[in-house]
Amino acid sequence: MSEPILKLNGICKAFGGVVTAQDVNLELYPGEILGLIGPNGAGKTTILNLISGIYEVDDGEICFARKDVTRIKSHDRARMGLARTFQTPRFLQRSNIRDNMLLGTDLANHARFGKSFFQKEDKNFMKEVEELMELTSFTLDWNDDISSIPYGNRKQLEIVRALLTHPKVILVDEPAAGLNQKELERVVLLLHYASKEKNIGIILIEHAMDMVMNTCDRIIVLNFGRLIATGTPQEVSSNQAVIEAYLGRS
Amino acid sequence: MKKFKIGGSLILLVLALFLPQILTNYHLLVLNNTIIYFISALGICMLLGMCGQMSFSAVSFMGLAGFLTAQFSKTYHIHTLLAGVLAIVVTGLVANLIGKALMRLEGSYFTFASIGIVSIFSTLFLNWKWLCSSADGISGVPKLNLFFMTVKDRNQWYYVLLVAAICCGLFVERIRRTHLGRAAASVRDNAIVASTLGVDVYKTKVICFTIASTLAAVSGVMLVYHNSYAVESMFTYDMSVSFTLMVMLGGVNSTLGTLLGSFLMTLLPEALRSFQQYLRLLYGIGIILLMIFMPMGLAGVVESLTAKWRKHLKLKGKGRNNE
Repeated sequence: MSEPILKLNGICKAFGGVVTAQDVNLELYPGEILGLIGPNGAGKTTILNLISGIYEVDDGEICFARKDVTRIKSHDRARMGLARTFQTPRFLQRSNIRDNMLLGTDLANHARFGKSFFQKEDKNFMKEVEELMELTSFTLDWNDDISSIPYGNRKQLEIVRALLTHPKVILVDEPAAGLNQKELERVVLLLHYASKEKNIGIILIEHAMDMVMNTCDRIIVLNFGRLIATGTPQEVSSNQAVIEAYLGRS
Repeated sequence: MKKFKIGGSLILLVLALFLPQILTNYHLLVLNNTIIYFISALGICMLLGMCGQMSFSAVSFMGLAGFLTAQFSKTYHIHTLLAGVLAIVVTGLVANLIGKALMRLEGSYFTFASIGIVSIFSTLFLNWKWLCSSADGISGVPKLNLFFMTVKDRNQWYYVLLVAAICCGLFVERIRRTHLGRAAASVRDNAIVASTLGVDVYKTKVICFTIASTLAAVSGVMLVYHNSYAVESMFTYDMSVSFTLMVMLGGVNSTLGTLLGSFLMTLLPEALRSFQQYLRLLYGIGIILLMIFMPMGLAGVVESLTAKWRKHLKLKGKGRNNE
């Protein structure tokens, strides 16, 4: 296998007395979908926030695209090709869908304030968006307000926006929560497209177990900020420590 | 829709061109002042509406640029147009430095710090001999010379201001449609999302602050040349509050709304002259009602009406398809 695109080395993070990550190690390879599971409060979202730079780590290091990014700011990590989505979709609430999506393209184009003032709009934008929309097979009026479209569509759009930034890695936080079966299938389709066609590494947090088992190449299980198991879906689902973490000791 | 917009702006432009013919000299003065304030309010529209940062310091940069122009042109005998440009550039640089410091603060802390700036500058405008000559300010500022013409009377001033305001308005509208506009909107709506989309939140705020302050500087230079004097009382905290109200009344994130707001804020006191003693009272009640019933200002009301109308049309279209 090629070398990992993202690597966490002994990551620690505590909020006051609450330890949310303790000596977490993980590696993510290009084109791989890595599931990150664990009971509520296991520290899954914290890990994503540490990777994307929203929180700073207390100890340990994060390597991304062969660079140590531990002390690099969130927006610089994004510019290096680190995209993410959120548990509840986050957009520019007062802008239309088009502007929301264009922000992703701006990142892919390394847009600069001064330069973009004199430039015409990127023509490839519409083409690329249409390609992605075809995959997800739903149509939208681009000039509609982002808040006017249904929740499920917003969740999918967030992944589309992440893809528009031409990332190397996407961190996906609970994409299936609150979606119906059909929407869920589209999300899986998008994730597969990203990893297999575009060779993007994906870290996926999800509670819907059948989705995790079917989509992920490898799974990591967290409990109380500690990594308790790692392996293929089959290995993890038969792991005693994992069963205990989810169901409790008998 | 687009045709409608172009047609509408053409009609407005023609109206604007003939306006001085039907106005008295006094009304023309009010109108000119309105346009000058509009340019400053545009800066607030950009900083507050686009980037979500509330600042009261516009008036300080307006004053700084105004006093600098007056000094450059009167005391140092620099050509008036160059003096104006120089004052705007210097003010822009000062604003950039101040922005870099203040933007380390977030939300309302930044707002309070900006009030501090107003206070500091108004002291400078009263006491710093080099800048303001005396507490009574500088009078007899030379007339603005644009190389091919000297702007002499209010009528000519009106056209100069019209061109300046249109340029500034188009500039802000253009920014709205470029990366800076989108980046600013992302900072306003959700700074965390902004940073995960590669937007440098701090830098975006500083740039918006600098541009807004530069627009204030343009308006300050215009004001001083127009009135041919500069004095501290032209640049008080009250002024800053009324700029903010202009923007809130018209529509916090809309250029046309800001224009409308500037007109209403300057014309209403004129129209309500006979109720002078109740003016402050009406004003206060008006502000409260405005915040309750139309927090996004007049432009917000228009926008939600057109959104409803579009939805209505869409539903109608769908109904037809089903038949």
